Amino acid sequence: MSSAVVSVNGVGVRYRAYVERNSTLRRAAARGRLRETAVVVALEDVSFEVQRGETLGLIGDNGAGKSTLLRVIARTMRPDSGSVAVRGETSTLLQLGAGFNLELSGSRNVYLSGLAHGLRKAEINRLFGDIVDFAGVAEAIDRPLKSYSSGMVSRLAFSISMHLMPDILLLDEVLAVGDAGFREKSRSAMRELLARGGTVMVASHALRMMVQMCDRVLWLDRGRVRGLGQAETVIEAYTRSLPPAAG
Amino acid sequence: MSTVTAGEAARLSGWRTYLRNLWRWREFGWFLAMGNLMARNASTSLGLFWWVINPLIMAGIYFLVFGVIFDGRSGEEHFIAWLLSGVFVFNYTATAMTSGANSILANGRLLVNIRFPRLVLPLSAVVETGIGFVLSIAVYYVIAWPANGVAPGPGLVWLPAAFALHTLFNLGLAAWTARLAIPFRDINNLIPHITRLWFYLSPIIWPLSLIESRGGWMEQIASLNPMFGMLSFYRTALMGRPLDTGAFLLTLAWALLIGLGGILSFVRHEGNMARHL
Ligand SMILES: Nc1ncnc2c1ncn2[C@@H]1O[C@H](COP(=O)(O)OP(=O)(O)OP(=O)(O)O)[C@@H](O)[C@H]1O
Ligand SMILES: [Mg+2]
Repeated sequence: MSSAVVSVNGVGVRYRAYVERNSTLRRAAARGRLRETAVVVALEDVSFEVQRGETLGLIGDNGAGKSTLLRVIARTMRPDSGSVAVRGETSTLLQLGAGFNLELSGSRNVYLSGLAHGLRKAEINRLFGDIVDFAGVAEAIDRPLKSYSSGMVSRLAFSISMHLMPDILLLDEVLAVGDAGFREKSRSAMRELLARGGTVMVASHALRMMVQMCDRVLWLDRGRVRGLGQAETVIEAYTRSLPPAAG
Repeated sequence: MSTVTAGEAARLSGWRTYLRNLWRWREFGWFLAMGNLMARNASTSLGLFWWVINPLIMAGIYFLVFGVIFDGRSGEEHFIAWLLSGVFVFNYTATAMTSGANSILANGRLLVNIRFPRLVLPLSAVVETGIGFVLSIAVYYVIAWPANGVAPGPGLVWLPAAFALHTLFNLGLAAWTARLAIPFRDINNLIPHITRLWFYLSPIIWPLSLIESRGGWMEQIASLNPMFGMLSFYRTALMGRPLDTGAFLLTLAWALLIGLGGILSFVRHEGNMARHL
C-alpha cells in the first residue's frame, strides 16, 4: 500500500449556474421555463495522490478548478463523479476572506471559526492568546472584521488554521496577501506542520513562491490535469504555455 | 440477504456518526443562536427587552383588530387567552420557517470552507426562536391572567410535551426551508404568503364554534391543518381546556412526519449545499 494521504480518483464536478440574459416574460414563455441554466464543468476526471509530508502546489489559469478541487478534498463539497479518499484526521481549508462573519469582532470570529471546526470552547479559550499573537492583530481584536484590511483577515484566518493542528492544510491564495514578515512566519509554521508529518496543498498564482515551497505541482487546465510532477518542471511548462506578454 | 443487512448496518452507523457529530458541534450551534440574540441585543437600545416587547405589540395589534374592531369575542369566552396563545404558538412556527431559510444563506461562507454537520444551522435557528417563544409564554400569562382570569393550572404538565413536539415540527419545517432556499431563493418571497394564509386558516383569531357551526366536512378539512391539533394541545396546557386525545395523536403524527421528514431530506442533500452558494 502506498503512503498516500489523499487519493483522488476520477473526480468530476459540475456547477449549474443561472444565466442572466435580458429575460422577458414572453421569451421565458417561449423557452418554456423561467430561467436558463448553464452547466459549468469545473473538474473532469481528475486523479492523483498526495503523499504524507509532501507539499503539493496547484496551478492553472483563473477558473481552472483549483478552488473547487480544494473544496472537494476538504469534503465541503461532494463530487458528481469519482471519489476522494482522505487518510489522516483533519483538514482545514483556507480561502480568502472565507469562513468569517465580517460583522462580528475578531475575537468572536476566532470562536466562530474554532467552534465550526469542531473545537470545544475551552480549547479555544486556551489557544486564544497564541492565535491572536501569531496573527499580530491584538490591538484590533475587538473591532468588527469589516474594519480589518484583507491582509489582517488572512493573517487571522491562517493563524486559526495553524492552531487547529490539521493533518492536512489546504491553502487557497491566502499567502499572497500577507506582508513579508508574516509570510516568513507562516512559512516556518508550515515547515513545522510538515515536520510533524502533516501535508500541505496550496493553490496560488505566485509561481516563484510555488517553486520554492512545493515538492510537486499539479497543473489544472479547464478542469483537467495537464501536468503533475516536480515543481520546477511543471511550472516551467505552464509558463511556456502562456501567451507571451505584450510589450 | 447478508448484503441487505450490511447495507442497513452501514446506514445505521452513518446516522449514529451524524448524531455524534451533531453533539460534538453543539457548542457551535449554541454560539450561533446566542450570537444572533446578542447581536440584536447590542445593536438596539432596548436590547433584550425586544423579546418581550415584540410579542406584546403583536398581541396588542391582533387584539385591536380582532377583539375590538371585529369583535370576535362572541364565540369564545376567554378570547384574549385564546388569541394570545394562538398568536404566540403560531409565531414560533412562522419565525422558525423564515430563520431556517436564512440560516443557510447567511452562513454560506462557513459552508463552503468548513466541514460540519449542516443540520446545526437550522437547529440553532430553531433554538434561538424557541427561546423567544418561551419568553412569550411568560408574556401570555401576564396578560391572559388579569384579562381573562386564565391562571397557570394543572394543565401545564402538558406544556413540555407540547413544546417538544412543536419544536420537532418546527425543526422539520426549518430544515425544509433551509434546504429549499439554496436552489430556490424564491422561497424567501413565498414564505410570508404561506404563513399568512396558514395563520388565517388556523383557529387563532376565530373560535372553534365558527367551523363547528358549518357542518362536518368543513371541520374535517380544517382539522387536517397541523396547527389544529397543535393549538388544541397547547390550549390544554395554557388554558386548561380538556385534553383532546385525537388532537394529541394528530400532533404527534405531524411532528414525527414533518420533523423527521425534514431532517432526513436535509441531511440527504447537505453534501450538495456548498456548490449552490
Ligand atoms: N458557485 C459556482 N457556481 C457556478 N460556477 C462556479 C461556481 N464556483 C466556481 N464555478 C466555475 O467553476 C470553474 C472553476 O472555478 P474555480 O473557482 O475552482 O477556479 P480556480 O482555479 O480556483 O480559479 P482562480 O484562479 O480564479 O481562483 C470556473 O469556470 C467557475 O466559473
Ligand atoms: Mg480559486
